[in-house]
Amino acid sequence: MEKNKEFHHYLIGFVLATVLTIIPFTLVATVGGKISFVALILCAILQLIVHLRFFLHLSFKGQQKEDLQLVMFTGLILLIMIGGSIWILGDLYNRM
Amino acid sequence: MSATIRKSLHPGLNLGEEHGDDHLEAETSVFGFWVFMMSDLVTFGMFFVVFATTVPLACCPSPKELFDLGSVALQTAFLLASSLTSGMAVLTLKQEHTARSACTKKLVFWLLVTALLGCGFLYREISDFIAMAAAGAPPTRSGYLSTLWSLVGLHGLHVTGGIIWCLVIVAGVLVRGVDLRWKLALLRWSVFWHFLDVVWIAIFSFVFLGGLL
Repeated sequence: MEKNKEFHHYLIGFVLATVLTIIPFTLVATVGGKISFVALILCAILQLIVHLRFFLHLSFKGQQKEDLQLVMFTGLILLIMIGGSIWILGDLYNRM
Repeated sequence: MSATIRKSLHPGLNLGEEHGDDHLEAETSVFGFWVFMMSDLVTFGMFFVVFATTVPLACCPSPKELFDLGSVALQTAFLLASSLTSGMAVLTLKQEHTARSACTKKLVFWLLVTALLGCGFLYREISDFIAMAAAGAPPTRSGYLSTLWSLVGLHGLHVTGGIIWCLVIVAGVLVRGVDLRWKLALLRWSVFWHFLDVVWIAIFSFVFLGGLL
């Protein structure tokens, strides 16, 4: 049963990821505009979580502390560097 | 003894207690690979920042003229399907390792399917690159195009590396059988391959779909 569970885990992940891929592609092809961009970001974040959870098997339960800290610290570094750079350069761009 | 063996020794799919010592051996090498993967993710993040801080110039063809939605969708489908098949390969290793030759056969099958899907992805990506260069948008044309080519190209290089690694594992498993060495290689490769898809989510969302909006 444990084996089937692991297999279903991958299938669930695959179906969720497919849906979260089809939504933004359809929106861009048909609707467009600002709403689509917001939906795009939401779908990307959700799909990221789906991949980490179902394909890479990360979770808050049953995971060792150091393992999660490694991933979350990287997330923090990325957030600071990407967010910070876009913030600063976006601000400069608006002043030009 | 088995009571003291923890179920999860490293991030990602663990071999599990059924694999005995191999499960314990995996801890350092797979955790180490996760550390590498995280630093690789930071590298991608930096390429992303540089891309995000450039603006398409009026001099060159616009993203709307350059990007082909259908082709990007096809590449995404290839990579997502290959993520599933690479997962099937690791599950085969984890669950069916006792039936040695049957396990090897099934493992090789899933790995070859994954490599094939990866090649399909690369083929579309390279044709898109060639089409872009032909449309007057080589990487030397503008800052935006340089960052676009390097970000997508870096991902393409990773996929190429992932396919080569996959084929090396196929050869190793066929020659030496599913021993500890190739078990560990497979665990690490699957982490690598899943992360390529994670990076691709960001690329297709923000570079291609964002550019087409």
